[in-house]
Amino acid sequence: MKKTNSNVSIRTKSVLTGWSFVLLAVILIFVFYFYPMLQALILSFQTGTGSNLTFTGFDNYTRLLSDKTFIVSVKNTFIYLLVQVPLMIVLALFISVLLNDSKLKFKGFFRTAIFLPCVTSLVAYSVVFKYLFAGNGLVNTMLLKLHLVSAPIEWITDPFWAKITIIIAITWRWTGYNMIFYLSALQNIDHSIYEAARIDGASASRQFFGITVPLLKPIILFTSITSTIGTLQLFDEVMNITKGGPGNATQTISQYIYNLSFKYSADFGYAATVSYSIVIMIALLSVIQFKVAGDKNG
Amino acid sequence: MKKGIALLLICLLLLTACSSNSNSGSGSKNTGNAAADNGTSGNTATTEPAHAKEITIWAWDPAFNIAALEVAKAEYAKTNPDVKINIVEYAQADIIQKLNTGLNSGTTKGLPNIVLIEDYRSQSFLQSYKDSFYDLSGSIKGSDFADYKSGPTSLDGKQYGIPFDSGVTGLYARTDYLEQAGYKLSDLQDIDWNKYIEIGKAVKEKTGKALITLDPNDLGLIRVMIQSAGEWYLKEDGKTPNIAGNAPLKEAFEIYKQIMESNVAKVHADWSQFVAALNSGDVASVPTGNWITPSITAEATQSGKWGIAPLPKLTANESVHASNLGGSSWYVMNVDGKETAADFMAKTFGSNVEMYQKLLTDIGVIGTFKAAAGGEAYTQANEFFSGQKIVSDFAAWTEQIPSVNYGINTYAIEDILIVEMQNYLNGKDIDSVLSDAQAQAESQIK
Repeated sequence: MKKTNSNVSIRTKSVLTGWSFVLLAVILIFVFYFYPMLQALILSFQTGTGSNLTFTGFDNYTRLLSDKTFIVSVKNTFIYLLVQVPLMIVLALFISVLLNDSKLKFKGFFRTAIFLPCVTSLVAYSVVFKYLFAGNGLVNTMLLKLHLVSAPIEWITDPFWAKITIIIAITWRWTGYNMIFYLSALQNIDHSIYEAARIDGASASRQFFGITVPLLKPIILFTSITSTIGTLQLFDEVMNITKGGPGNATQTISQYIYNLSFKYSADFGYAATVSYSIVIMIALLSVIQFKVAGDKNG
Repeated sequence: MKKGIALLLICLLLLTACSSNSNSGSGSKNTGNAAADNGTSGNTATTEPAHAKEITIWAWDPAFNIAALEVAKAEYAKTNPDVKINIVEYAQADIIQKLNTGLNSGTTKGLPNIVLIEDYRSQSFLQSYKDSFYDLSGSIKGSDFADYKSGPTSLDGKQYGIPFDSGVTGLYARTDYLEQAGYKLSDLQDIDWNKYIEIGKAVKEKTGKALITLDPNDLGLIRVMIQSAGEWYLKEDGKTPNIAGNAPLKEAFEIYKQIMESNVAKVHADWSQFVAALNSGDVASVPTGNWITPSITAEATQSGKWGIAPLPKLTANESVHASNLGGSSWYVMNVDGKETAADFMAKTFGSNVEMYQKLLTDIGVIGTFKAAAGGEAYTQANEFFSGQKIVSDFAAWTEQIPSVNYGINTYAIEDILIVEMQNYLNGKDIDSVLSDAQAQAESQIK
């Protein structure tokens, strides 16, 4: 009888100890993550400017569906997503395989050089890109000097080229980041697999598609999900390079949220609704990616 | 062992709790101090009015607004040496963000006592955060300032803002380029925009220089044109979109397209490229607010090469040769220290004619305080502009600026128009451009 009692108390004690370990983290997560999320959800059912908010039910959500600017922002964001994410992932994969070659010299230098963009400040590099791609910027000057173009390309003020500029910028910034994941995964692949493949007469490309890519699949899934989330939240580059323009040709959803909150007349309720649309999109896309690429590894 | 870990953990928890306690402790101590300060001033209130000893002001542009504040601070210190004035410089976008988040959070901590707000945005703040701004009707008279400033700075018959930067526009032009094309500055007097483009074509042909530089993301030129005709994106109630059927707006769009298609425009993407285009001599003219003067005169080698003409007008009869672009005004926040802040504003920007002369000669600030325009500094000739009395010109144009109600949605509507402008430039019919913009504005602005 006494024994069981002490057993219970020991169990209670260990549960309490366990909880006390995570208690602080749990409280902090509730206060700084769940509470704001709930607040934002409540806010998304309210309309009005500044602090004059009134509950209007699903008004904001119906407005969302007929809001041309929102639709254009979603379209732009998905163009970045569909063009830039695959481009970057293929590029990162390619570079990491090159850098993993045991015969390559100055490996450390190349790895650092390609990873370096990821440690630069988002705002700082965006501003540099803005000046590189300005009408009379370095890129145009070089293209003109090399006689590749006859007139300066309007990188920032033309709707098509502005999108290209943003894609070039984010590819430069994030490729190295993904490359590091591939590189560390590649180093975990046993050399003997490649040796065996070579003995069997497999070409380099056959080795790449037959061994490297399948073995990197979980990492590819991981990088494509993180890149998707990152692209859906794209803000700094667009804000600093093109300000969403010309017109709203490069505007992303995040920038639209900023505009609704601060550029226009402080419509925080509708901005919260738009934020929730991103949450829904990210959740849906992640599920799809898991279904498509996940199989047993997912 | 487990006991040891548990003990350690509890100690750790207590430590964090203590440290957070001490943090909040020091925090409350601070407020305690502030309260004590107010308390003492509150106690002395029986003998003299309650006045805080320290006020904070937020503004942007060190060369213009901050410099003006420094002059006012020195002026106020002569009579009130015991008041400490903190001037904090933020970019305009940062001020808008901080104000919005601060006012929305419901706590007045961290807000300044006085803040500078652009006229286009002021109603959005006054109407969105009622009671957050201090009624200055007892301190200054709205009628002492340029008439077109009263709309943005007052609400429900109460004066909330101290009108400041006039934003009055002029047509800055390179006289040397004009001469090469066979024109003089006097040829720019009282012209309309069609004539302006015609001159621009000649300048382009003779000198190869662009007439104007434009940012496709900023329809400031359109705003200037429609205000010169007494119209705005919104009807007079400040709420109903006024886009389809707005004749001056239609004409402004047509002129904008003509400028683009006549190949007389250079395109820039931001402020620094804009100023660079002027300073490098790439453009022959710039129709804009008088706040550009310090940026133009910064390029000393171009002294004597610039002149300022009145703004061209629309062909519509009601259009005048004067408009406003992005003027701003001071607002006192309804927080502790408001009386001191209001007193500071009333004694400096609200009444001090002498100070306005100093603002003008030292910084080039043209205020909107009517009485100041009679001062000596307003009639001085400016060497950089070949001896032209630019300030008295600007002061005269200030009086002609038509009043319009900016409402609270200037930038929201402008973003719609920027997109439609691109469509228009790409060949969409003007009437459907405006009616589409009208429909979109109506669905977005509620």
